[in-house]
Amino acid sequence: MQFTLKTKSKVTSSHHAAAIIGAGPAGLTAAIYLRRSKIDVVVFEKLVPGGYITSTDFIENYPGFPDGISGEELGELLEKHARSFGAIIENNEVTSIDLNVAPMLIKTSNNTFTASTIIIATGTKNKKLGAPGEEELLGKGISLCATCDAPFFEGEDIVVVGAGNSGVQESLYLSKFAKSIKIIEFLDHPTAEKILLDRLKEKENIELLLSNKVVRFIGKDKLTGVEVENLDSNEKKVLDVKGAFIYTGVIPNTDFLKGVVDMDSKGFIKTDEKLKTSKDGVFAAGDVRTTPLRQVATAVGDGALAAYGVREYLEER
Amino acid sequence: MGFLREEDKEYLREEFKKKLKRKVELLHFTDKNNQSEYSRDTRALLEELVELNEYLTLTVKDCSDKEELESEGLELCPSTKIKSERRGFMNFYGAPAGYEFQSLVEDIIDMGSDNLPLPPDIVKELSKISKPMDIKIFITAMCPYCTKAVRTAHLFSLVNDNIKASMVDSHGFPELAMKHNVSSVPHIVVNDNVSFVGALPEEEFLAKIMEVIE
Ligand SMILES: Cc1cc2nc3c(=O)[nH]c(=O)nc-3n(C[C@H](O)[C@H](O)[C@H](O)COP(=O)(O)OP(=O)(O)OC[C@H]3O[C@@H](n4cnc5c(N)ncnc54)[C@H](O)[C@@H]3O)c2cc1C
Repeated sequence: MQFTLKTKSKVTSSHHAAAIIGAGPAGLTAAIYLRRSKIDVVVFEKLVPGGYITSTDFIENYPGFPDGISGEELGELLEKHARSFGAIIENNEVTSIDLNVAPMLIKTSNNTFTASTIIIATGTKNKKLGAPGEEELLGKGISLCATCDAPFFEGEDIVVVGAGNSGVQESLYLSKFAKSIKIIEFLDHPTAEKILLDRLKEKENIELLLSNKVVRFIGKDKLTGVEVENLDSNEKKVLDVKGAFIYTGVIPNTDFLKGVVDMDSKGFIKTDEKLKTSKDGVFAAGDVRTTPLRQVATAVGDGALAAYGVREYLEER
Repeated sequence: MGFLREEDKEYLREEFKKKLKRKVELLHFTDKNNQSEYSRDTRALLEELVELNEYLTLTVKDCSDKEELESEGLELCPSTKIKSERRGFMNFYGAPAGYEFQSLVEDIIDMGSDNLPLPPDIVKELSKISKPMDIKIFITAMCPYCTKAVRTAHLFSLVNDNIKASMVDSHGFPELAMKHNVSSVPHIVVNDNVSFVGALPEEEFLAKIMEVIE
């Protein structure tokens, strides 16, 4: 049995040279770089330090770990690394920021802080499909987190929606629990990495349903089926399943920043090549910004770059 | 070999020393004859924890002692309840394993101090609750979002004696999890009738549990 300690410390001062919102790979990397420049930094995290990766079973493409590493462990190592240079992590959700005052104001659910610079590294969350029945059956058979909920589907027939990297990777994990898995994909081809698709072929209990879309989720108090439509033949059929895991893309955690910094039409934060946002002294790093690839490696690179920008900004003043 | 890593022990020693101001009792009900890994590990962990600070004590009682269990307001076994002179009903049914160990540590600190990290308007609303409210938070050990729900409910119990909050390890109590149709965690059940899913922000969590009164 394992007992995981996500150590936390309370901030003692309310003003910081730099405030980082989000303790995922991007935020924690920025904290490491800033602390090494002896810049006073606080990192706000609403859930657990480590970020989105803590909800995935295994990461194999982050360089330096040739045997792969569990998301939980990588999260823990990143956190430990940031703390080892003196980064303070405050376990609190940032509910709003005010950039029209100097220093800038950061409000959490029970406190207010000020900072001279801010790095937004709040990442993303799973996008829902918007199909009928989804909202009602979320948590009643529909799940957004395989590592959290897989044990409830031991020996059951389930579907995974989305054949991108996340969908395929989580299907491979779920296949250890579920009796059978059908992966429903809208496109006529899966978009996951080739190596994942090769592994998929070896699994007898996983089947790919390409060119299919979810029409609706069925069930009263519990999910009992998913209706899908074949986009080539327009034929509809109901799959009798007890579980559905949705991995069809992500939406940014930027609701609390609406109207504060410029975003693209999907709510991702726009930055320049130095990761500056539309507001002076405010940077964005990792999955939360407009970027073609959202991975740990890119988030870590962004964190370093944003920290560099913060340092430059503070030195110029 | 112990469960706590040396570095974690050191961190906890310091934290407890800095923050604990009063005695905290870890009251653990277990089937003393049960040598399953599940039962043994939790107890061993608690034994290691109380070694770290002199304010901490561990009391181990047997599940067969139904009267004792009931007098503590508990229904299931094994369980671990964090007690002090401070008000609050912070309880764990099953092992506080995986990410939930963090909840256990934070609970100990709250019980042993006057810490109350809740916004004033929420505290005000909570103090108005005049009916018993039993909150169970079903979790799995590998769920990074569940601690948030467990901690929110445990913190609520610090405000009002009517609130009892217990983490329930779904793995340890599969029948109960099934009875409440738990298929996604955190899954919260209030007074065995209102239920909802997700690590909701405090205001939304409060609004949901209040449905039981309406
Ligand atoms: C199932 C799954 C599998 C994946 N597999 C891989 C893989 O194999 N390899 C890979 O490279 N990548 C993988 N990824 C992607 C990877 O997790 C992300 O690219 C990476 O975590 C992005 O890091 P980030 O720091 O930008 O954001 P995140 O990791 O999302 O961190 C953002 C943090 O900010 C916090 N936060 C949000 N809003 C607030 C607020 N208002 N106040 C305080 N805190 C807030 C969040 O709680 C979160 O901890 C996977 C993702 C998923 C979901």
